[in-house]
Amino acid sequence: MEEEIKTKNLWKDYSRELTSNKDKTLVEILKKIPLLSKLGKRELKTISKFAYERTFEANEFVFQTGQPGAAMFIIKEGEVKIVKENSDEEYVEIIKLSTGDIFGELALLDSSPRSAGALVFKPTKAIAIFREDLNKLLETHPDIGGKIMMHLAIITGKRLKDTTNQLIEMENEMNLLRKKLDEK
Amino acid sequence: MKNSERLNRSRIFYFSLLTFFIIVFGYLLVVLQDLLLPVLMGTLAAYISLPAINYLRRNRIPKALAILILLGAFSFLIFVLGQKIVSVIPSEKEALELRIQLQYKLNENFLAFLGKEDFANEGNIIDDIVGDELDQMFESVNSFLAFDKSEVIEFQNYIDSSLVSERIMFFYSDNLKHTILPAHDIEEENLVENGLLPLVSKIKSTSRIAIFLNAISTWIILPFVFIFILIDEGEIKNFFLSIVPNRYFEMTFATFTNVDQAIGNYLRGTLLQSSLVGLTIFLGLLFIGFNIQAAILIGIVAGISNAIPFLGPVIGLGTGILYAMIVEGIDPMLPFMPDNPLIGVLMVVLTAQFLDNAIFQPLVLGKAVNLHPLVVVIGVTGGSIVGGFWGMLLAIPTIVILKVVISTLYRQAKEYYIIY
Repeated sequence: MEEEIKTKNLWKDYSRELTSNKDKTLVEILKKIPLLSKLGKRELKTISKFAYERTFEANEFVFQTGQPGAAMFIIKEGEVKIVKENSDEEYVEIIKLSTGDIFGELALLDSSPRSAGALVFKPTKAIAIFREDLNKLLETHPDIGGKIMMHLAIITGKRLKDTTNQLIEMENEMNLLRKKLDEK
Repeated sequence: MKNSERLNRSRIFYFSLLTFFIIVFGYLLVVLQDLLLPVLMGTLAAYISLPAINYLRRNRIPKALAILILLGAFSFLIFVLGQKIVSVIPSEKEALELRIQLQYKLNENFLAFLGKEDFANEGNIIDDIVGDELDQMFESVNSFLAFDKSEVIEFQNYIDSSLVSERIMFFYSDNLKHTILPAHDIEEENLVENGLLPLVSKIKSTSRIAIFLNAISTWIILPFVFIFILIDEGEIKNFFLSIVPNRYFEMTFATFTNVDQAIGNYLRGTLLQSSLVGLTIFLGLLFIGFNIQAAILIGIVAGISNAIPFLGPVIGLGTGILYAMIVEGIDPMLPFMPDNPLIGVLMVVLTAQFLDNAIFQPLVLGKAVNLHPLVVVIGVTGGSIVGGFWGMLLAIPTIVILKVVISTLYRQAKEYYIIY
């Protein structure tokens, strides 16, 4: 009798460990990303079904400049540098990203070539979400897909505004410099 | 140094793992080859129904229910069509009678075509020019239909127990006027020589119920394959992606989705096109007065064979014409329809082909996988050599799948800097 109960509990624990725990942590990680923060637990669980976890070692490329983009990556743990090759064929760091950050998100919109490369700085675990899976999600769960796309548009729009502001600032600075040069 | 050792070790590990799997998989493929077709058909059915499942889910129907609905619809369709088809499959006596009837009608039409009353007479101008050649061709068809010794004895039994109608008796005696050596006798001699005959007779002697049960036991796997592939929420893909090294990860996924899309479109397109052609022929035959069972059977044969380029329509037409030759007293639904079933079948098949080329094909854009006509011809011929009718039917899809996989893999490998 006791044996039976034991096995039952063991199975229960085992099955719980196998399914819900893994899902739970993945859902928690996804929940922390601004792009997906507005989604409910059930919606995040749907997404977690096509979230692929990968392990990268230091100095490994997640993707390189010019490759067609197919997936967005979320850093579960570790550090990744976004790099661009200069004219001397050296990698120049643009930004360093760490746990919870996302990169390569423009690949969710189309397969245009990556504008920069992603080089792993410290051993990293990352979650990949593919554009094609998102497109399928738009077919089967238009509500969830729509929300993600909306947020992606907002984030992209925000970055565009930031870039425009930066451009205007730079232009102003250039004008100022030009004036100074003219005065001299 | 340490790194290169690790690299070597992992190379050996992956290589032995791969060899092991290839051996196991190859062995299973040979041993379980009876399961191959049911598994393949189940996968194909699931693959083709994916958009339907997605459509139902979009309309807020849970996935499990959507799968049940589709499975129910498929089972119903197979059950209804199966019943209709089984009711047209002739018994042994009917099959013999049909052959007599067909042989008689063929002779009648052939003689009329050459403008002669008997094989010994002189005919019209066609007979003068190519009569001898046609005679030879016709004789081989005739010898295919003619009874062999055991069939003659069997039929004599039916005659003795006066089960054969006078009409058939008339055809039978007329056929016997010009004796032709049946092709089966020759084949049988060859079979005996090759020691194959015991095998054939063994299969023949197995009861129909045993054959039926045997088929059921392997085909029972089909609905399971269908259900589990549809239930799968990407676990299968996830597994294969998890064993791919990081460097090939994105490329593999991109290749996978591109191939999936192209092949899915092609298969669904072909299925839709074939179904539409089959349906057109079925309706057309109903209109010209064929009975519903025959129309369904010919519609299905014409629909399936339509997937074979060039030759498919000919097979459909041939089946229709064969039936038109033996059918008697058909009554067209509409007054302006031709009374002659041969002309009727020809009109129906031509209409179906016209609709196929003018409307169905442009409608099914996904089928647009370009194959050179020469590849198609060689593929179909090669398929027929390797696997008969099924070989012909599956040759082009196989070539298309190979072409899509290789070209996509090549393109993606280049784009991801894997190869130059």
